[in-house]
Amino acid sequence: MNVKILNPFLEAAAEVLKAEIGAAPIRGALSLQKSALTTDNVTVLISIIGEIQGVVLYGMSKATSLAIVARILGQEFTEFDNLAQSGIGELGNVISGNATVNLSKAGYNATISPPTLIIGDGAKISTLDFLRVVVPFDTEMGRIVVHLAIRELEKDSQVTIGALVASARVSPNSQLDL
Amino acid sequence: MNVKFLNPFIEAACEVIMTETGITLHRGDLGLEKTPYITNDITVIIALVGMVSGNVLYSLSNETAIALASHMLGEKFEAFDNLAQSGIAELGNVITGRASVKLASAGYEANMSPPTLLVGKGSLISTLDRPRLIVPFTSDAGPLTIHLALRDGITTPISAAHIPVPNRPEI
Repeated sequence: MNVKILNPFLEAAAEVLKAEIGAAPIRGALSLQKSALTTDNVTVLISIIGEIQGVVLYGMSKATSLAIVARILGQEFTEFDNLAQSGIGELGNVISGNATVNLSKAGYNATISPPTLIIGDGAKISTLDFLRVVVPFDTEMGRIVVHLAIRELEKDSQVTIGALVASARVSPNSQLDL
Repeated sequence: MNVKFLNPFIEAACEVIMTETGITLHRGDLGLEKTPYITNDITVIIALVGMVSGNVLYSLSNETAIALASHMLGEKFEAFDNLAQSGIAELGNVITGRASVKLASAGYEANMSPPTLLVGKGSLISTLDRPRLIVPFTSDAGPLTIHLALRDGITTPISAAHIPVPNRPEI
């Protein structure tokens, strides 16, 4: 996966978490996964549509999500109620929205879907043929794991067709050279 | 939710399932829910962005999914393996694609995301402030339910998410 499309998300996640939570998150090691993701308690799912396509998932435990909304909204939460849900959904929305601004600076136009929340651990989310880059962020409220299952769709296929055309052109010339 | 969004999905679902699997869908009574959806075995999640914005969820049991995949791909599946998974996701993709063509000809252009598959019964999916219109279908392959959590979108997607977040003030 292209670093140019990853960094906008990593930067946005670090910036937004710092601005919303107050303390700089510590980014863990990146890994690449092909298997289905087994959900933690709370998962925010946002689709990316445009020159970059795919899905971004933000996974965290219930305790982490409650601590984060408590900080963002300035009140204690004991239950993951509607207000808490929309707070966490909005966090994913703001990170992804900021990432698309960063993406457009890097030359990729993409829009994001409204957030969807998946509550309940142990379900499996398959992004099918999209590989997931998994990036954990450790904060004082716990760990937030960002899963990026995105790719440049049209540009990739253009390159492939371009390469095919190029190779088709090269072969008769090289025969002439012989 | 705008009722104009409903028919394209009903038509597309019936047409696509008929073409791909030869199975006739029968529509049941519509419902509207605000509470989170408790997942069935398999859920295909597809997002729409544009003049229609939100999510479409296709919810089905393991048995229905295996039966549909078997009809679609012409081989008997015993388990809901990777191939069956991509078959069912593709089915959701084609239905949504066909529905978005119909939506566009009704004046609502939208782009759709690639499908995401959620496998596992009993999780909750919350579409937050978007209520879900529920369209149940029955068929020879078993029941299939479509959830539409859609709303009128904006053509130029500028949202609060695009405004830079100011730093937390020191208190």
